[in-house]
Amino acid sequence: MKHFSEADLLETYYTQPGESMPVMMHLAECGECASRYERLERKVRGLAACEHDKPETFWARQRISILRKVQTRRSPALAKYAAAAAIVLALGGVFAVRVDESASRRVDETPIATTASLDDSAARRLDDSDPWQSEELKDLQPVVAWESWVDAETKNGDKSL
Amino acid sequence: MAAFRLSDPSDAPTDRDLIDRTLAGDGAAYGTLVERFQRKIYRVAWAILRDDVEADTVTQDTFVQAYTSLSRFEGRSELETWLTRIAINRSRDSLRRKKFVSLFSSRDDDDEPAAMIEPVDDRPDPERQILSSQLRVAIQRAERQLSSQQKVIFRLRHYENLSLEDIAEHLGLRAGTVRAHLFRAIHKVRKELASWRTQGAANETL
Repeated sequence: MKHFSEADLLETYYTQPGESMPVMMHLAECGECASRYERLERKVRGLAACEHDKPETFWARQRISILRKVQTRRSPALAKYAAAAAIVLALGGVFAVRVDESASRRVDETPIATTASLDDSAARRLDDSDPWQSEELKDLQPVVAWESWVDAETKNGDKSL
Repeated sequence: MAAFRLSDPSDAPTDRDLIDRTLAGDGAAYGTLVERFQRKIYRVAWAILRDDVEADTVTQDTFVQAYTSLSRFEGRSELETWLTRIAINRSRDSLRRKKFVSLFSSRDDDDEPAAMIEPVDDRPDPERQILSSQLRVAIQRAERQLSSQQKVIFRLRHYENLSLEDIAEHLGLRAGTVRAHLFRAIHKVRKELASWRTQGAANETL
């Protein structure tokens, strides 16, 4: 019968193979290996035994320290909520003022818009008629006509001008 | 908190009660929860970090983090499991930080004594005592060669005696992945043991 080495048994201990694995089946049959495995298990457990038994004062100090940290976390949390509420109120106030201002501006702007639209229609009417027929520009009509002639000639291809 | 439970188990508030009271602003309730789990959390952190100061820091950070996230705790797992998971993650981060820092310094990331062979005394089986120490040294040497993840898994298995399934649950990994990491870790322990064996230790003494 082939026995398992301590390294194999150590691996068995750590990896907890199922009952159907060869090593476990062997341990179920071989008393020698089973007792070596038990000794190894005890040894490993002994090595890993808790080495940090602390006095009660240690735990009390740790607890106080945790609760202090928690307290400081709690206070900023309240401050954050207060700040958030203040920001919401401020933004709400600004929004309300803006709405109010824009409403009043709309009331103020309405007549201006009407004037502007009137001016537009007057200008459009002037564009439609011949401006040189007006009294003010009647004397300047020949000059303007000459200018128009020069322009027309340029348009006709006399690039030298 | 074990003492608290023993004094009057029927009156001991449940974790859920204490959580609800904490969320309602009762600071003392959280103190009770801390008292209930601080030893366990410290032990897990210590098992991974092998350092008193760091384990203390991780324990405190765990409870502070848990407090800030307490409203999000849905109770799908036990509070203890949830806290343990936080502690393991924080310990793992701490190990990684240590490893990163060690890249820039000549210091080893695990400043544990290299040789811990105890002096032979007149106890019944001194040879066995030495070999037990050598096993410990082999484990420590092997641990130094492990990645942070492997180290966490191996230490949870070795020091906390957690099952592979529990480790997988705590780390959010599949059991197969945990097993693979553990195999690699044990392979290194085996190599250390092999070198120990070639130095003349007899198998029978185990």
